[in-house]
Amino acid sequence: MHLVVCAKQIPDPETPPSAFRIDSATNKVVPAQGIAPVLSQFDGIAAEAALRIKEANAGSKVTVISLGADSAAAAIKQVLAMGADEGVLLNDPAFEDGDSYTTAKTLASAIKKLGDVDAVFCGRQAADWDMGQVGLLIAEELGWPVSIIAKSVGQDASGLTIQRVVDDGFENVAMPLPGVVTVSNEFGEPRYPKLPQIMAAAKKTVTQWKTDDLGLAASEVGAAGSRLKLEKLSTPPRGVAVEIMPGDTPAEQAAALVAKLRADHVI
Amino acid sequence: MPDPTAEQPQQQQTRTRAWWGPAVGLSGLGLYAAATVPGEVAGREIYFNVAHPWAVYVFMAALVGLMVYGAIHHIRLWGIGKPTPGLLREIPHRFSNALRLGLAQEKVRRDRYAGIMHWCIFSSIVVLTLVTAQVAIEGDTPIKFLHGTYYLIFSAYGDFFGLVGLVGVGMALNRRYFQDFHRIRWDERIEDHLIIVGLGLVLISGFLVEAFRILATELVQHPDWAPWSFVSYAIARGFTSFHMSEPTILSMHIASWWFHIASAFGWLALIVFTRLDHMFFAPINAFLLRTDSPGRLAKIEDIEQQEIFGVGHVQDFTWKQLFELDACVRCGRCTEVCPANIAGQPLSPMHLIQDLKGYLADVGPAIQTHQHQFGDAGREVSSVAMVGEVIKDETLWACRTCGACMQECPVMIEHVPTIVDMRRFLVMNEARIPATAQAALENLETRGHPWRGTSLERTTWMEGLGDVPIFDGSQEYLYWVGCSGSLVERNLPVTKAVFRLLGESGASFGVLGQEETCNGDPARRLGNEYLYQILAQQLVETFKAKNVQRVITNCPHCFNTFKNEYPQFDGNFEVLHHTEFLSNALQQGTLKATHPVSADVTYHDSCYLGRYNNQYDAPRQIIEMVPGANLVEMQRNFSKGLCCGAGGGNMWQEEIGERRVNHVRSEEAVLTGASQVISNCPFCIQMFEDGVPAVHPEEEGRMRPFDVAELLEASVFGKP
Repeated sequence: MHLVVCAKQIPDPETPPSAFRIDSATNKVVPAQGIAPVLSQFDGIAAEAALRIKEANAGSKVTVISLGADSAAAAIKQVLAMGADEGVLLNDPAFEDGDSYTTAKTLASAIKKLGDVDAVFCGRQAADWDMGQVGLLIAEELGWPVSIIAKSVGQDASGLTIQRVVDDGFENVAMPLPGVVTVSNEFGEPRYPKLPQIMAAAKKTVTQWKTDDLGLAASEVGAAGSRLKLEKLSTPPRGVAVEIMPGDTPAEQAAALVAKLRADHVI
Repeated sequence: MPDPTAEQPQQQQTRTRAWWGPAVGLSGLGLYAAATVPGEVAGREIYFNVAHPWAVYVFMAALVGLMVYGAIHHIRLWGIGKPTPGLLREIPHRFSNALRLGLAQEKVRRDRYAGIMHWCIFSSIVVLTLVTAQVAIEGDTPIKFLHGTYYLIFSAYGDFFGLVGLVGVGMALNRRYFQDFHRIRWDERIEDHLIIVGLGLVLISGFLVEAFRILATELVQHPDWAPWSFVSYAIARGFTSFHMSEPTILSMHIASWWFHIASAFGWLALIVFTRLDHMFFAPINAFLLRTDSPGRLAKIEDIEQQEIFGVGHVQDFTWKQLFELDACVRCGRCTEVCPANIAGQPLSPMHLIQDLKGYLADVGPAIQTHQHQFGDAGREVSSVAMVGEVIKDETLWACRTCGACMQECPVMIEHVPTIVDMRRFLVMNEARIPATAQAALENLETRGHPWRGTSLERTTWMEGLGDVPIFDGSQEYLYWVGCSGSLVERNLPVTKAVFRLLGESGASFGVLGQEETCNGDPARRLGNEYLYQILAQQLVETFKAKNVQRVITNCPHCFNTFKNEYPQFDGNFEVLHHTEFLSNALQQGTLKATHPVSADVTYHDSCYLGRYNNQYDAPRQIIEMVPGANLVEMQRNFSKGLCCGAGGGNMWQEEIGERRVNHVRSEEAVLTGASQVISNCPFCIQMFEDGVPAVHPEEEGRMRPFDVAELLEASVFGKP
């Protein structure tokens, strides 16, 4: 089987709030000084899911694809160290500032170019923008079935067997291949890479594809092809307002608190 | 209540001096004898009444043959291990270790009762072996010297040390059979009874042989010589009341002679089969003991060229590590002081060493044959995995690397490097790590610090302190704040206190601020040597680029790493822990502790400042110079201090077992009745912050944990 993992490099979600800045002129997040970007955690879990399928099927191969700048090669190397076989970086200034649609379109083009892909694994959402669109849109572009927010991914003769997390439990889904699955944190932790694999990953070269390699026009990708326009980006004002509930006894104060919470539609 | 087991430095000194008492006494006896005894003709017939004395040499040849066989067997087993680097360095130091730790048994004496017992047995065996050798020389060589005054002195010291040996045997029997003394029974075997009862029989039968000979000869012929063999003489005098006939005496003599010879050689043969081999292995292991700091773990050279990382198979240990396994005497001292074991967690250093020893004996011969035929190829000779089955993962993770086991081990086994070697295999080769420790390692990789989820920045602590100088090479000291000192809320006041005190002392210093990254210690202790080397190399380069010469650290772990481990990466800096700098500043008068802090305080020795770097005094000196502060020692202190529970990466692990180590230690601190527990380590303070409320749920009168610097800050600047 040929499995593809889509991996995104994002600003560290653990950046201390005090170091998080937004440039309101460009509507962009200013990279925090000294805080390196990381692999989106859900994508690491998606890689784990793909690797387990690979290990259950002798002769399988995992290719990791990332759309990003040069630094995103680190995210690819991380998945290679976990056990993926090949890495492709979609790296072109034309790809910058895209939305979920152009990202999915670009990734889907790369998957088509790879040719013989059986399944695509994405994180349920990228941990920076939390849109959760790309996996669905890749499936749309490829015309494949998709199953999102998986907590377990298994296999039978007809394709993948997936447990999807839903509000009040989970659903069992059978999905024929080729198909796309997005994996949730309920799946479990990604593996810790073994050092020999880290060494091997360090020696691997990451293939780089540009717009031309994918047969796309610059107008179809990145900011130019985006369908979503970001109007304004700002940090929510942080503040704490304290209100002491009136009342002579704790019981009266509690009653006042309940009344207040009701009035504010909190409860 | 003064605590008898609390270790005081002065006490240690007197113990050392008292040790020479017996030697002085003996010399006095010799001089007295030489001056007063006229016995020119005193002497005895060697092999008196013995028909076939040559039989002794048959026994002797058998014993020597057995020992040679045993030695070859062992050497072949150790030989499957890897080379041990650096053994030929510092030879004089190694001889001094062999004398101090092997012959003079410095570690054995850390348990006073066992020290006396062991010295009695040891000295008795040494002296009586010499006595026997002299008899053999006198009897079977042309050299004749056992006569006259020397014969009488010889008789006296022979008896004296026979008696000393019996005292030792008595003490051993008392501990083994009449006292509620646990550690020697944790792995008790039949040989333990054989060894001690056997030695008692050898000594007693020796006295009987002599007593019957005296009864038959000296008592009638030279009653003035006989009392020199004072023990046997007394026994012989006792026998006179039985009015035995001469043939009876002679047959009793010959019977006890044969019994003595057979039991003595039988007992000596135990050396080959039992832990009695420690009489050779212990001094040899003292010689082999590392001569550099115990706080330094071995570097994996050319790590990127390795195929196997750490030790997953028994043949990946160095031969010295394999040798150590055979040196273990199962005394249980390591396990007795192991914080994990004390808290009921799944680690007993003694059982770990014994399990490895058993595994070596099981699979070693097969590996030896295999290596002989195929070299290093096809490493798996056993279906039982050493790491994971013989030694469980959770056992390896429970280790705090606190070094208490190594500190106590009377045969100088180095448990911690052996444990970390197996952790290296688990982490780098197998990627089998507890989830929370893995998170810490991943955080080190991606964020350069182990504190996942911190919302602080490396510069947060500077808020409100005005102008904090950034180190630019012009200052004398780099003040190294460390990840805990900057990213953990509780430790920020300590960082601020050290900063204010450094400023007050007039020191020229700067900090690195945002440019600090973890020096790698947690990665190394957790077994990720590769990550450690990357972090260490980076930081050594940063230090060199900034022309750092002298470093003051907040944290004893950073201190140990810079001081003892960075020289492995060509990073040689003068490193001070903040307590060392502050203690000096107080003594030189650049800091003055003027405001009283009236409180009973107890002091907790961190493992990496205390045991690993032998710094027990500087923090105590600071406490003593704070007016009003009254130091109350805990039961376990100085080199016997108990770990807080966080060491060896356990700060980032879930504990498995009956109790948490920090609860045990907090309980000991609370028992002193002090109102503050003072430490020198950000981890220890966090562990007490968590542990004290757990063992003392009432908020009222609850002990509070502080760093030495916080105490001193209050005294230098007054309470805010």
